[in-house]
Amino acid sequence: MAYIAGIDVGNNTTEVAVAQLDPGGEITVVASSIVRTVGIKGTLSNARGVIEALDRALAPLGIPRKELGMILLNEATPVIGDVAMETITETVITESAMIGHNPATPGGRGLGVGVTIRLDRLDEAAPGVQYIVIVPGETDFRDAAARISGAMSSGVEIAGAIIRKDDAVLINNRLHRPIPIVDEVSHIDRVPVGMPAAVEVAGPGKTIDKLSNPYDIATLFNLDPEETKKVVPIARALMGTRSAVVIKTPHGDIEERRIPAGKILLVGELRKAEAAIAEGAEAIMAKVAGISPLVEIHAEPGTNVGGMFEQVRKVMADLTDQPAGTIRVRDILAVDTLKPQQVLGSLAGEYSLGNAVGLAAMVETHKLPMQRLARKLEEELMVPSCVGGVEADMAIRGALTTPGTKAPMAILDLGGGSTDASVITEDGKVSSIHLAGAGDMVTLLIDTELGLEDRDLAEKIKCYPLAKVETLFHMRHEDGSVQFFNEPLDPRLFGRVVVLAESGPIPLHTKEQPARIAAVRREAKKKVFVRNGLRALERVAPAGNIRLIHFVVLVGGSALDFEIPKMISDALVEYGVVTGRANVRGTEGPRNAVATGLVLAYAELQR
Amino acid sequence: MNITEDMVKEIILEVLQEMQKEGRAAAVQKPEAPALRFREVGEAKPGTNRNEVVVGISPAFGISMNKTIIDIPLQSVLKEVLAGIEEEGLKSRLIRVIRTADVGFIAHEAAKLSGSGIGIGIQSRGTSVIHQKDLAPLQNLELFSQAPLVELETFRAMGRNAAKYAKGEQPSPVPVRNDPMARPRYQGLAALIHNKETQFVKPDMPSVELTVAM
Repeated sequence: MAYIAGIDVGNNTTEVAVAQLDPGGEITVVASSIVRTVGIKGTLSNARGVIEALDRALAPLGIPRKELGMILLNEATPVIGDVAMETITETVITESAMIGHNPATPGGRGLGVGVTIRLDRLDEAAPGVQYIVIVPGETDFRDAAARISGAMSSGVEIAGAIIRKDDAVLINNRLHRPIPIVDEVSHIDRVPVGMPAAVEVAGPGKTIDKLSNPYDIATLFNLDPEETKKVVPIARALMGTRSAVVIKTPHGDIEERRIPAGKILLVGELRKAEAAIAEGAEAIMAKVAGISPLVEIHAEPGTNVGGMFEQVRKVMADLTDQPAGTIRVRDILAVDTLKPQQVLGSLAGEYSLGNAVGLAAMVETHKLPMQRLARKLEEELMVPSCVGGVEADMAIRGALTTPGTKAPMAILDLGGGSTDASVITEDGKVSSIHLAGAGDMVTLLIDTELGLEDRDLAEKIKCYPLAKVETLFHMRHEDGSVQFFNEPLDPRLFGRVVVLAESGPIPLHTKEQPARIAAVRREAKKKVFVRNGLRALERVAPAGNIRLIHFVVLVGGSALDFEIPKMISDALVEYGVVTGRANVRGTEGPRNAVATGLVLAYAELQR
Repeated sequence: MNITEDMVKEIILEVLQEMQKEGRAAAVQKPEAPALRFREVGEAKPGTNRNEVVVGISPAFGISMNKTIIDIPLQSVLKEVLAGIEEEGLKSRLIRVIRTADVGFIAHEAAKLSGSGIGIGIQSRGTSVIHQKDLAPLQNLELFSQAPLVELETFRAMGRNAAKYAKGEQPSPVPVRNDPMARPRYQGLAALIHNKETQFVKPDMPSVELTVAM
């Protein structure tokens, strides 16, 4: 009786299935394990992870590694994906035309219009003129309040204030008559003096309505139609904020600029097309769909997107010892997203949400890397090793061990780097496709859109539901339900938004509300997995028609996600397709499909 | 090494001498911090107002000491903490804890009396804690343990963060510096100040509510 091991090296995890093969060709899987992949998939450093995974699977059986009869590796048509983000718009302010930031605590309420004047020049104020006071950083709030109050009672008409420090409420509380005050304006020295300005503050929970409307700005500053056209971007940038300042300067302007991010050239089997990144994801993906089947994708050298493609090629070339020139990018997934960006020329460190395009690119080469890995394993473990079979083929075999499944059916393999689909017909013919973009892309989108600059944190947000710790004894989950605790929670969690990881709640240090984080997370998953799932199934479905597939089984790590399966299921119901998560061998869930498939296929050959 | 009482006395004397030397040299630049004028308004009672933060000060705060270990006037300390709370739209209540000089217990007492359950404890030397009533006394929401590194802006941020906790917001913890040399450099002085503080402790006295003239 011999033991054989099937090993699936994935982008994120290495999975093992150990099976007992009796002389009659009967096969029973007796153990399995899962570890994190060491190194990039397809490199020799994977060996360490493979050995660790083998040891874990073999430990309960009590058999040493060298008693294995055969090690089978997946023939991963090695796919590497890289994800990158290109910003395609930016907001530029010339000559301080506006301040549209959202200090947490502005003072007063309403709209004030007047001419800007420095606090220390208030005694030079002319009667009958409305003023907006500029309070510099070194002034104490009591002092500022006293001077403004003093000026008010001596007849100076003060309509509002712009201040450097976080003192708006403090100053306003000390005035006889409330005025709208915008605070935390970090570059107060750049605010021009003697210019007409408007300050607007909305009540808590509300947003400004005058300065976010170009015609109201025109009314306030007596603008002609030509000038009004120019303030449209200002009004747009101020939409949704709780407080704002607009200053009319002679040449002041704000514009939204498109950044040249480069072009990509799509080469299909029959046609070619060019797509500019700045056109946005929709346009790019429409072109990709129109050209498919794709053969190759080039990027314009010397541009951002060119740099990204070059990076993918270089990594792949290092992996496979092939010249970078022969590596071809086979697929891309483009996704529209928003990226918080500092406004250029701003006065208060304002951010605006710039449009950005996230790109996942994928490269295919030969099966060389896996063969090299097999050779290395053979040398190290003294066990015959070989590449057992094509990944998609094996995955579907493994998935078919799910109770209640039978051919014909399709699988969607939702991994970290790529989304794969395969279809098996009644007579056992398999066709499959690998597409760029999966879990890693979702992480990137969450990271960018929430402005976290922390991939690990984004990864956690992706994987776990959220809750808000409201007191030390209860938390409110993102669905609104409340959970109570008998023991007090860790003080570090108090008042925080947390992700509910298996190891316990992890606090997120962000100002975002749970509802927004959850919305960003769901949107990112939909953009990547639903779109890619449909795209992949269309490519393998008979006659390109998803309706002709009846059953789709989900496998891979991302199929374990708490919401992705439902999203895909919802999308596929429209095509009349039944979707479910695999339960490989009735025990493994959506994991271990490829590893299981490898040992099953080997046994079939032995018969 | 055994530290005898005599050795401690010797060290303290040395420190004192050093301080006197420094004191003489620096006396010109360091004007006396203004005295705080408190008025006691009776025993401190638990508040019911959800929009208040209670600030608890130590027994000798503003009585035998008017500035922190790095010479920030205690008047400015209180001003900034209270301003931080006010800017967030909350009310503050000031109490003096007399039964202990331990900053954790002072802050916890303030939190227990606070309608929002959030309190701040401040010792004369500047060591401070933001506390919540359901925590154990030696836990904290935010701890400012190294008094020599607690600056004026820190006190404003402390008040602001306490108010944000009271509102159920999620403030980023106030950044605190850490200087391994602060301990050796200030340990003697800190011990002296704390000693002064504990002389005013009366274990049986309840906390009193105060108003302060700024």
